[in-house]
Amino acid sequence: MARMHRFRKAPREALLVWQAVSLGGVLAALSLAPASVAVFTEAPRWLVWLGILVAAAMLGRLLWSGHTVGSAIRADRRRHRDLVDLLGTHADPVHGTQVRVLAHPTPTAYCLPGLRRRVVLSEGALTALPSDELTAVLAHERAHLRARHDLVLEFFTVLHRSAPPWLRAPQALREVRLLIEVLADRAARRAAGEVPLARALVTLARGAHPQEALAAGGGPGGESTTAARMALLAQPTAGFGMRLVMTAFGLLVVAAPVVLLVMTLV
Amino acid sequence: MARKSINRLGELERAVMETVWAMTTPERRSVSVREVHQALSTTRDIAYTTVMTVMGRLAQGGLLSRQRSGRAYLYAAVGTREELTASTMREQLNAVSGEDRRAAILHFLDDASADEISELKAALAEVEARQSTSIGKGSKGVRP
Repeated sequence: MARMHRFRKAPREALLVWQAVSLGGVLAALSLAPASVAVFTEAPRWLVWLGILVAAAMLGRLLWSGHTVGSAIRADRRRHRDLVDLLGTHADPVHGTQVRVLAHPTPTAYCLPGLRRRVVLSEGALTALPSDELTAVLAHERAHLRARHDLVLEFFTVLHRSAPPWLRAPQALREVRLLIEVLADRAARRAAGEVPLARALVTLARGAHPQEALAAGGGPGGESTTAARMALLAQPTAGFGMRLVMTAFGLLVVAAPVVLLVMTLV
Repeated sequence: MARKSINRLGELERAVMETVWAMTTPERRSVSVREVHQALSTTRDIAYTTVMTVMGRLAQGGLLSRQRSGRAYLYAAVGTREELTASTMREQLNAVSGEDRRAAILHFLDDASADEISELKAALAEVEARQSTSIGKGSKGVRP
């Protein structure tokens, strides 16, 4: 599915489908053991318990990795937020969000999601970005914070972590990351227009690599997120029909394992 | 209410760090809580124990180092403001590579490598050209 680029034109629905597929997979995996036991009519009691035990172990692992990943992320964020609060200049809040400016020439812009959310800019970014590009960047970060994109990302990171290595799909995680960026780009495009947003992407990419390489073309990792975002900038959102089909598919994928489990158990 | 006190604590930490930076020199690298309290008292009404708590927190957070000197502790900043800012910048730039840490901080720019800047510039030129032709035709949409 990561290769189906046309879905990127409907980032919201594509994210929904990704979440649904993952959730459906988890539900199917959890119900696999109890269901396979239930298929035998004369299953001995210990086999039933074994099935339930396997499912419980999987659920436990999932919850445990949710706990560890979640608290690591929050600890990381809290520490970094304390640092930017301490070291950064307190700029005027933008639409109620606290903004911190770090006195450093390398242009960068990012946000720290959570209840005490922050948008962080470097002085280098403020110098490099004209006001319309800055509007685009701030709208992008605000979209992340408002829609709690971090929670979506956290969900997938947890799944990625708790899945056995042979089941992990790094390209899925990468695609989800891209979709989140595309979603925030749509908000930035609405706020500032596509040209300032495209310019801001180039400005910050150049600022991060002052020693511009001569070689053209994609890096070794294939198509990069930034190039993909650039390509999607000018594309309109997918039509209603396609979005409807994607949403329906998402719901179906979650419902299917539940229905199957109920059918085998009853 | 709670929020206000958190903000106030952050503001106090800033004031304490700034005082420590201002008071220390290459010759005299560390200060005591009492000295910091004295300096802060000139501009605000603040209890000695509050300063001690804040400095203890900063030491726990790794921003101040402390060593025992007699019955009290002497504190020193682990770096200048510029050094700490630079390490904070490095930390968030490095966060792009770590799998888990990428969920902690959301960057505007994910992973543009130096190789693809010319490619990005070409794409930008395309976006700009498309925009100007669509304005020329009188339509203001984002249609190709």
